[in-house]
Amino acid sequence: MAKITIPLGPQHPALKEPENFMLVLDGEQICDATVNLGYNHRGIEKAAENRNYIQDIYLLERICGICSHSHVSCYIGCVEEIAKVEVPQRAKAIRTLVAELERIHSHLLWLGVAAYEMGFETMFMYTWRDREQVLDCLEMLSGNRVHYGINTLGGVRRDINAQQAKEIIKKINYLEERTKYYVNLATEEPTVLARTQNVGKLPYKVALERNALGPTARASGVKMDVRKQEPYFIYDKLDFEMITYDSEDVFGRVVVRVLELVESYKIIKQVLSALPEGAISVKVPWKIPAGESVFRYEAPRGEDIHYVKSNGSEIPERVKVRAPTLSNFQSIPYMLKGDYLADVPITIAAIDPCMSCTDRAVVYDAKNGKTRTFDWEELRKYSIEFYKKKGVNFSTK
Amino acid sequence: MSETLKEEELKKELENKFAGSIYEIQIARKNRMWISVNPQDALRLMSFLKEKGYFHLSTITGFDEGENLGAIYHITDYYTIVNVRVRTPKTSPSLKTVRDIYPVCESFERELEDLFGIKIEGLPEGRNYPLPEGFPKGVHPLRKEVKLDELVKQLDSQKEGK
Amino acid sequence: MEMITALVYIAIFPGFFFLAVYGTALQWADRKICAVMQNRVGPPWYQTLADFIKLASKEVIIPDGADVKMFKALPYIAVAAVITAMLFIPITSSPIYSFQGDMIAVVYLLTIPTATFFLAGWSSTSPYASFGSMRVMTQLFGYEVPMLLSLVGPAILAGSWSIYDISAYFSTNPKMLFFQIIGFIVSLLSVQGKLERVPFDTPHAKNEIVGGQFTEYSGILLGLFNLSIDMEMVVCAALINAIFLGGSWQLGGWASIVLFLIKTFAIVFLFTAIKAMMARVRIDQMVKFCWKYLAPLAMIQIIVDICLKYTLLK
Repeated sequence: MAKITIPLGPQHPALKEPENFMLVLDGEQICDATVNLGYNHRGIEKAAENRNYIQDIYLLERICGICSHSHVSCYIGCVEEIAKVEVPQRAKAIRTLVAELERIHSHLLWLGVAAYEMGFETMFMYTWRDREQVLDCLEMLSGNRVHYGINTLGGVRRDINAQQAKEIIKKINYLEERTKYYVNLATEEPTVLARTQNVGKLPYKVALERNALGPTARASGVKMDVRKQEPYFIYDKLDFEMITYDSEDVFGRVVVRVLELVESYKIIKQVLSALPEGAISVKVPWKIPAGESVFRYEAPRGEDIHYVKSNGSEIPERVKVRAPTLSNFQSIPYMLKGDYLADVPITIAAIDPCMSCTDRAVVYDAKNGKTRTFDWEELRKYSIEFYKKKGVNFSTK
Repeated sequence: MSETLKEEELKKELENKFAGSIYEIQIARKNRMWISVNPQDALRLMSFLKEKGYFHLSTITGFDEGENLGAIYHITDYYTIVNVRVRTPKTSPSLKTVRDIYPVCESFERELEDLFGIKIEGLPEGRNYPLPEGFPKGVHPLRKEVKLDELVKQLDSQKEGK
Repeated sequence: MEMITALVYIAIFPGFFFLAVYGTALQWADRKICAVMQNRVGPPWYQTLADFIKLASKEVIIPDGADVKMFKALPYIAVAAVITAMLFIPITSSPIYSFQGDMIAVVYLLTIPTATFFLAGWSSTSPYASFGSMRVMTQLFGYEVPMLLSLVGPAILAGSWSIYDISAYFSTNPKMLFFQIIGFIVSLLSVQGKLERVPFDTPHAKNEIVGGQFTEYSGILLGLFNLSIDMEMVVCAALINAIFLGGSWQLGGWASIVLFLIKTFAIVFLFTAIKAMMARVRIDQMVKFCWKYLAPLAMIQIIVDICLKYTLLK
């Protein structure tokens, strides 16, 4: 039979975000695959060069809806390093707490997506139901479900009280129970095994060569986890394992993520049981001294790298974002070759792709959107008016 | 000083080997090194780094310093990040591809081409990334002279023209 | 007069009207039960009807290069074949039409919708649809043999190839039903393949090939295809009911209809449970599973039945 090229994307039910794969198929088998990216380019890097450091926090938070805390923490890590700010221990602990809650939220979401790509809708519904628990925790902590806005330069914006800590522990205990069930489901259900084992092979050597990161790399036996290799926040004081697995396939990636959930529960309990006392933030000057810095952060999907260069003013000279997905995408064509068409969705999903992270950088910002145009001052006035109507007055002058 | 022992050793080695081509080398803190190198010796330096175990090219950051454009190659062995800075004049910006050393560099280098207009020698012809297909030719949004308002205006008029 | 009764059979009971209403009702039950199993709310009772009406009111778009006549005719053929199959299956005490060997006829009539699915995909000239139709055919070769084999056992035991005779035999010898459990399971699973439901829904696996064989279909044509699948579900459930669960138990009248509804509903409940418990398998895994496990199991069932017939019952 002749070879057929079929497009997968930019719009396709298997893909949650726009990207494009051209698959060359011989019957059901894949001979060749190419990846085309760039459908989700929003110009965030350019926009970041036109805003001050505080505004950039909220801008970069919107790179991605799932690893919002990761990008901001990474950016803030850079800025704090340049400004030589010593962040209070309690703020670091709260950042760690939110980071791990975010990891749980992301991994549960991924588990659901993976199940969906395998056609296992029941598991998809179950994991997303349980994910609500951790979203509730985040909402309680920060007031938001997705873009937490908890970070600020020099610390965090909201403190945590004993009541909240108790509530989080309660929810984590519930999730621990549920995770045991998922471990069983993922490792024993015959149809799940049939769909994941020996699918999307990525040998150790290729994983290194092609810059695999995070759980994708760890499932190929690569020992890399920024939390262990270059501990930030308070990870050096915590007791947790780096999960690796050597099956080098999708099954391994499922196992790694599910076991990482368990590690995250452990971390959260440790953080909450020994929460340092003290202030939650220190003041950081408006203008950041000239300098440059690179910061690494273990996002749920892998290592996130930000580069920030400052020029002594209140606006950064350059902000560079490298999301883990861009790096992980290099492995996809290798993983797809020789597999079946039916394995494509789960193989792509197995790296937990996040296109909005990957394609971040230039030009069209929402503020210039067609429907309603605000400039910064107007927006500020509008928000003050809005809150005045509600009976809150921020203008203390 | 024992904290940065590994970096000191590497620094010494590099200074001996690439005496004429490195014009700036510093250790910012543990695990962070910054090197500025002449473009013609950049490839040689990077293959040396790879031999030393710095096998992972994290990303390439482009920058615009006014007169010069350039790129920073963030190279790591998972512990230490060596940031190799290469500059090229804005009048005729061009860099050699690092594909032979780090095969994963393709999308990073396409980004440099699209966003900064740095010509990458040796990079095969390919699709635009990450700018869309109809984007005005010769406009490289991350260069400093490109102002956001003007660019938005230009794109709007292009859209209405269609 | 005969003409009018025949028309009533085809158009109202047990033909088009009954199958359409009961089929959409069962589809709703399937979706609702599945939703409850998955901790969701699920659709309201009129959802399936609303879906059909919405599709019927939409424009039909025919792709360039498609064979227009065939493209349009296929959904009607599928519906017609399913209705014809239903006429041979007993609901009240006896079916409308019956002859020696109607069981084989029913199985082949049930293959016609599958063939139309294949042709539908093939004639729509889209890569996704072609992949879907290739998978429809591959899957057909997987489940068809185990399904037919699983029906042979009861037929041997009853000594007849007529569905009515088989169900009558089991009504009088209900003990024998307990020996048919393997065949029952095999037929349940292979019918999942026939109805293209999880775990065997590869032909229209949306994550892989979008809408599969129906990718290019729209409007009333797609509505009719969906309807034919719903009807097929009723017919398959009715077939399993007649062959493995003793049919109407010779009750006759309204009681037998109520019994029919209860038993087919129970079978659909099992379909739903299977759907909710499993992930989708790959097409090659599906065929392997059918030939490696289902076909041998069906053979064992036949051997059991032969032994029963010629040793124990002598």
